[in-house]
This record gives sequence, structure tokens and C-alpha cells, in this order.
Amino acid sequence: MRLFDYHRPTTVGETSALMAELGDEAALLAGGTSLMNLAKLGLAEPAHVIALRDVDELHGLDGDPVQGLRLGAMTTLRAVETSESVRALAPGLAEAAHHVATVRIRNQATVGGNLVHADPNQDLPPMLMVYDAVARITGPDGVRTVPVADMFVGFFESVLEPDEILDSVSVPPCAPGLRSGYLKFLPRTQDDYSTIAVAAGLQVRDGRITHARIAVAGGGSTAVRCRAAETALVGNGTDDATLTAAADIVPGLLDPVADGRGSSGYKRDMARVCTQRLLQRLVAEGAA
Amino acid sequence: MTVQLPFSRPEVRHEGHLKVTGSAKYTGDHYPPGLLHVACLSSPHAHALIRGVDTSGARDLPGVHAVLTGADIGDVRFGRFLRDLPVLATDRVRFIGQRVAAVAAETREAAEEAVRLIDVEYEDIPAVYDPREALTADAPVLHPEAAGYLTMRGDGRELPEHLNLQGDLVAGRSEEEMASAFAAADRVFEHTFRTPRQHQGYIEPHGAVVWFEGDTCHVISTNKAPFTLRAHLATATGHPAEQIVVYNRFIGGDFGGKGFSLDEFVAFYLARATGRPVRSVMSYVEELSGAGPRHAAELTLRTAVSSDGIFLAHSADVVFDGGAYAAGKAAPDLVPHGGLDTMSAYSIAATRHRLRTVYTNSVPGGHMRAPGEVQAVFAGETHVDLIAGELGLDPVELRRRNLLRPGSPAPDGTGAQSAAGEVLSRAAEGVDWATQPTRGRGTGIAVYRRKGGAGRGGVVLRALAPDRFEIVTGAADQGAGTVTMIARVAATALGVDESCVEVVQQPTAVAMFDQGAGASRVTRVLGEAARLAALDMRDVLAGDVLAGAVPAGAVPACAVEFPVEVTREAEAPRGEASDTFGAVAVEVEVDELTGQITVVRAALAADTGTVINPLSHRGQLEGGFAFGLGAALMEELPVEDGQVLAGSLGDYKLPTAPDMPPLTVINVGDTPGPGPFGAKPVGEFGNLGVAPAIGNAVARAVGVRLQQLPLPAEAVWAGLAERA
Repeated sequence: MRLFDYHRPTTVGETSALMAELGDEAALLAGGTSLMNLAKLGLAEPAHVIALRDVDELHGLDGDPVQGLRLGAMTTLRAVETSESVRALAPGLAEAAHHVATVRIRNQATVGGNLVHADPNQDLPPMLMVYDAVARITGPDGVRTVPVADMFVGFFESVLEPDEILDSVSVPPCAPGLRSGYLKFLPRTQDDYSTIAVAAGLQVRDGRITHARIAVAGGGSTAVRCRAAETALVGNGTDDATLTAAADIVPGLLDPVADGRGSSGYKRDMARVCTQRLLQRLVAEGAA
Repeated sequence: MTVQLPFSRPEVRHEGHLKVTGSAKYTGDHYPPGLLHVACLSSPHAHALIRGVDTSGARDLPGVHAVLTGADIGDVRFGRFLRDLPVLATDRVRFIGQRVAAVAAETREAAEEAVRLIDVEYEDIPAVYDPREALTADAPVLHPEAAGYLTMRGDGRELPEHLNLQGDLVAGRSEEEMASAFAAADRVFEHTFRTPRQHQGYIEPHGAVVWFEGDTCHVISTNKAPFTLRAHLATATGHPAEQIVVYNRFIGGDFGGKGFSLDEFVAFYLARATGRPVRSVMSYVEELSGAGPRHAAELTLRTAVSSDGIFLAHSADVVFDGGAYAAGKAAPDLVPHGGLDTMSAYSIAATRHRLRTVYTNSVPGGHMRAPGEVQAVFAGETHVDLIAGELGLDPVELRRRNLLRPGSPAPDGTGAQSAAGEVLSRAAEGVDWATQPTRGRGTGIAVYRRKGGAGRGGVVLRALAPDRFEIVTGAADQGAGTVTMIARVAATALGVDESCVEVVQQPTAVAMFDQGAGASRVTRVLGEAARLAALDMRDVLAGDVLAGAVPAGAVPACAVEFPVEVTREAEAPRGEASDTFGAVAVEVEVDELTGQITVVRAALAADTGTVINPLSHRGQLEGGFAFGLGAALMEELPVEDGQVLAGSLGDYKLPTAPDMPPLTVINVGDTPGPGPFGAKPVGEFGNLGVAPAIGNAVARAVGVRLQQLPLPAEAVWAGLAERA
């Protein structure tokens, strides 16, 4: 690992100024669970590291049924997993956070770092998509918001400009009665990135699906919201034929990359199988 | 002498307190004053000639004390048997990751920076990655200068028929005898199997700290065989062995990988060049791309069977991918010997094995927990199930008809003490073999014989007082419990409480010779040396102090003057009867839509003789099972055109606690082994049958038969799709 200068700003403004001054020689450090691994492998060699731990504005997890959730960028995944507010308002998010790596890593990894790293295999992004979460981004020209479903551009690449900071993520109050869940397919070891992972949310009223969200991680260069599959559900019943028809649409929306976790074709089919199983589970839970 | 064996009491590890409090100092924890840090430049080419090396930029970097290349130290080669691996490449590189230059600097970062500034001019030459291709007439030859290579014995070796052959071992009957045996048989079955390279997966990377005091070279190392390392260093560098001192107490995991070292050699030259202590610790990229993984293998097995399911003849043609150097193999034949054990638990009148290891432009192969056996037992025990399927016989029944048993030993006379039948039955019972599993589930079984290895070692036993004994050993403890084992054996033989015995690990300059941890020999050799030394000590002290257990605090008057010292060596001769039989049975559930294999329960029956350290024994068996589970389901070091594609243990996945199924360990048999008080080797044992048992269970559950490792869900899924 190359030596770097370590900076500890205390405000977003100060951080932005440092970023402007240091340019692409600098990297932002949130929890460090990705950056430090990349640095150790020589894949990232920043001359300056700007640590965000002392920036109070980036911390904090608030939630209420009217406003929804606000997750400061520095909120740890362990906090997301264990927070009473998250469990009450967006239980699927707590479930997805639980599936990230180990407790030690979740104690360190952050929501902001997780999103900005833009790793297509991460567990949180698809579930944030299911909850229509919105990222709040601060740049030199002010603040803008981008739905998480639209914030990924490609492998390890998000819409953030080099001079922008993701400061928080908002999760609006979810559709009443929404059932959400996460299915992480781990065929090798329980300690792994998913081969494919599916997040879904269903709202069912009087036997009809009135609201649906499906998003997939590991199915391509970014996490993907599967809108066509959602459309196939809404207005229909919760019978197996409907769920199967929606699941059958998912593989066509993906472009998985072959790697040690499986071929492209296998990942596509696993996305189908996992979507179907997850939808069946959500329907069964609703009926119970 | 009758000794009441106290071994059933779970042991307390003598070094345990140091380890759990973080006080145990491992190699990488040593920072002598004035320490410099090492980084090495590795070849990015699989096969290339070195046209020039410019180190001027690196030398000029502040904090850099030495930059060495092959041109500086000369063509210095080392190896566990065949010395074919250069400390630093001189004129040619043969695999991606081979060391070309080394830097010592004030910090690791400065050393790494200097490495980046070294400019090497390479000229690519044709490479060969496939062992079978490497044996063709017009394949690129990796070692045109092989005729000049020396072995650790100081001589050359007879050159093989093809220069790309590392080793070529033929054992058993002649081809003619085999041909007639096969011709006479009712049925002949032939199957081919493939197994991948795997990394040992220890957490502590290889490393060494080296310094000179005058002409004496001091070495703290992760190597598990300090005396052997000393010999290798002395032979390679020409430095006298008596002026090399190797220190070693704790090793952070071995699994076969810590008998082969790279760092000590570059560190030797850098310490000599700088006059400062130097520390070299491998990164995980270096570990995975150059530290000696398990050999990938292709095994073709043929077995002649009578109509009533008796194995009449068996042959195996095994080709190991040796990688670019043979240096990682310790045996003079330069093949992973375990390849002979394709069907060694069975009584078969005629057998023949040919094992070949081949040079390719890939990471050199080394030893990993039961080298060769893992490949052989997977192939053999899968082959047996395939035969059972063809004959319409229950796999347990077919095995039972052929196993070694008292009246039916192997042609070499071994196996007459076989507990194979018992381990087979007990393992099968452990998963309710007779009960038909539900849909998507299946049971599978594998049975095997493991032989302990040869070697020698000694201890010094000192009585300091009637109730105080000290045993000096030169052995390192790679985590398996060596120190505790020695203390328990000695205390038992002395007839004193274990708390009266302290084991002191000393460097090579002080301790008796020990061949090191390997071939599952430590308890056999050092335990036996400790027992013999204790018996001698009893003779010396007899009647005076050791008439009974020494009552605490009460020191009897005696005529003996303390301290009293005895030394003893023990040797496990090559080929001694040390058979240990094992059987693994598993029940798996296969997800028919995803192909995912879940082992829902498992039983491991082990005929491992007298147990000295019950917790460590269980740990070896359970840990061995987990090791085998990784090999079965996930572990493969991916290599593409000579490039290792895994850079960390995040990419190279190992099983973790949640992956382990409920496992029943069953100790069977009362056949004593050759170790102290009848102990048997157990270190390279628990992992052997896991992969074939799982593969066999998958085939019985869903009808998909895989003949290569690992057994990924996707391959099962593809097999299921093919069947549908």
C-alpha cells in the first residue's frame, strides 16, 4: 500500500474545499471496508485520504412514519440492521443489511460508502430501490437528489461527480401493508457476495397486487430495478401463474457477467428462480 | 510397565494462554532494531527471457538500502529436493509471479515504491499451460539447462525422457501382467477425473526475519521444518549450516504449505548486503500466485471387475500439473506420492500406477494436506460408485466385498490389520444408510486408507528436580498441538502429572535434530522420542524418586544429583505399518432448480488408535472435514494463461462455520498405531473422503454425476438441465 496524507475535516463544506484542492489525488474514506482493500491490492493509490468520520452532518439515523427514514451517509450497516426505526419502517432494509459480510464489517461499513462504491453485487442498493430511496448529493453548486434506482452508471461508477459528496439517503414512507424481502443466493459459502440477489416488495389489497417493486443485484454492471416485471404483477392476483410470469421477465432485463460465482446464463436463470421464490414467500407471508 | 493412560482428560494447550492473550509472537511480530523491510518484483510474464534490468531508479529512492537482481547474487537455486528454483531469476522467467528483484528499505512502503521503479526488459517466448501439451514433442521446453540441476543430495538426476517431465513414477505390476489381468476380467471400467489447484488457506502468510551477527546468520521463519530449512539455506547459499540458526515456535497455520519457503533466501542476501536485519512477509497476491498450491491433476482409472463385483486389477494414470518448478516437492521422485492411493483401501491382486508431474508455465505446485491422496481418493471413490452403479450394486456392498481385511491384505502384505470394514459400517450407520432418503436427498460414502510418513527427530529430557522436568525440542508447532502432545506423552511415561513437564522450543543451534512437521509424523516421531526419553529417565531415577506419583510438595530424599539429562531419537522408517482407515458418509440435499448442494449431515468414522490430545484430535477430524468440504464445494485457484486470478481470500473462498453440517465423529477400532502408546497419524486424514462422499451423494440424490472438483451448484444445475 502506498503512503498517503490523512485529512480529517469536520464539515461538508470543509470536505468539499479539500476535494477541490486535492482533485483526483484524493479519496474519501467512510468505513474503509472497500477503499482499504483496494489500496492494499494496489488498485487504489490515493496520495490523500479524506476521512469523513468527524463530519457530524453525515451521521445520524432518524425515522418517523410521516417523514420516513433519513440515513446519514456515515450510518453503519450494523446500525441499519439493528435500528428499531429501520425495522419498523423498512424491515427489508434491515434484512438486506444483515446479509452483508460479517458483524465486524457491518460495524465499519457505511450506507454512503456502500452506495458510492457502486459495486453491483452489494446487498443494500436493490433493497433501497424497492423502498424508492433517494440519495441526497452535495456539490459545489448546491444539493441535488437522485433516486437510488437511477444512481448507478456502471461497474463501480455512480452519477456522483468527483467533487460531489453523498450526504444522506431518504426512504419515503412505504406503501401501506408493503411486504418486502431479500433473497441472497449463496451457492458456495455463506460468507460470500451473492451469485445473484433479489429484493422485492409487494402490496396486496383484496387479493390484487396494487404495488410491486423488484430489484436485482449481481445481474450486470449495476444493481437493476426490474420495472417490466413489476408491471406484470400490478393489477393481477397473487396466483403462481402471475408470479411465475413476472419472474420469467427478469432474466431478460439483466446482463450478468461470468465470474467465479457463475456464468451469465446461470445467473440469469438464478435471478428467475430467486424472484419467483421470493414473490411466493412474500405472498405466503401476507396470507399467514 | 503398565501405565494408566490419562489421555481421556481433555488437554489444556500449553501455549494456549499466550495465544489467546495475543502474547505469542509469530514470525511477522519480530522487529529487531534496525530492521529493513523487503519487497520483491515479480514477473508479469508466464515465459520470457530477461534482456535487461535497470534498478537505478529504485536505488536512488530515499530509504532504499539494497536492490538485488539475479545478476547480483548469481544463479542460486533451491528446492526441497530438486534445486531448480532461482532465488531471483537470472536470464529467464517461467511463471507469472516469479521473483526477479528484491529491495530492502526503511519501510515496506518505500520498498514497494522502489519495486515499481525497477525496469525489466522481457522478451516473451512461447509458453505452455496444459500438462499433456507440455509432453508433446514440439512443446516449449521450460528448463533446457535441466541437466545441470542438482538435488539436495548434491548429485544430479537422471534426465527424464521429456525435459518437461518433473517426475515419472511407476509402481506395481508390469504392463504385460496388467494387460492379461484386464483381458481375463468380466468387466472393465475406465473413468477420468480432474481436480484443481488449491491454496492451503492458512491465515498467516509466509515470512522470515533474517540477520547476521558476524558470520552467523539468524533466521526466524514460518517454515515448519527448521532443520530442513537450515539445510536448504546452507546448500543454496554455500553458507555453512553450523553458522545458520533457525528459530521457530509458532506458526499461524500450515495445512502442508509451510514446508516450502521463499522469503528466507532473498532475505539472506539482503541481510548480507545491508548488514541489517530484514523482514520479508508475503502479500496475499504473492501467496496465491507463488507459494506452492496443491497440484492440479488429471487421473484416469481403470478397474477390472468380476461378475460378482470383485476388483481383480486396477491401474491409474495420473498427470499432475507441476507448474514452472519442482522445488516445492520434497520426495526424490518429484511426484505427489498420494497419487498411489487411488484404491488403497481395497484388496486388489494386480495394481499399477503411473504418476507423472509436468513442467508448465504456471505457479509451481507444492504440498497441501495429504498431497496426491486428495486427488486420488476423490477419483478412486467416485470410480467405485460409478462401478457400483454399472453393476447395480449398493455402493456400501460393493466396497465391503473388496475392502482390505485380515484374511485379504494388499499384495504388499499391508492392510492385514484393516479396520476398513468397521469404519465403513459405522459411517454408513451415521447417516442411516439403509433408509431411503426423501426426494432431492441422497446419501454418499467414501472409504480410504492413509499411511503415515517416514522421518526422524529427537528430544532432550532434563529432570531439574523430582517434580520438575523440561523437554527441549527443535520442533515448531504449526497449531496442531505439538508442545502439549510432547508434554502429555512424557508425563504419562514418567508417571508424573503433566504440570511437572515443561516443553521448551529451542533453535536449531541448541535442539536435537527434527525433520519437522509433515507427513503426519510429529506424534509418531517426537511423541515416541519423548516416551523413550521418559522411560530412560525412569531407569535413571527408579527407586529414588519415581516409585509412585510424586506427591505435591513432598520431595523425597534421593541419591540422584539433579539435573539429570537424557536424549532420545525416534524414527518412523519408510513403509512401516501405520495404516489408518477412515470413512465419510454424508446426506445431501440438492436444490433441483439451482443445483445448490447442502450437506445436511455427515459422519466421519476414524480408526486413529490411541488419542493423546482429545480436543486436538477432534479438531483435526472436524477441521479436516471442513477442509474437505471446501475442496469439494468451492475451492479452486483459478489460473488463466498462467495468471492466477485470485488476489485475496476474498476471491479464493474457504468454508466458514455456517457452512459446516452437523458432523458425527466416530472413533472405531482398537488396532494400535506405531506412535507412542499406540497413537496413529491424524493430521492429513479428515479431509480425504469428503469430496467423493458428497459427489456420490449428489449422484444418488438427483442422478447428476460430476467427475471433477470442485462440485459447483452450476455444474449440478447444468447436469439437471441435461437430464430433463
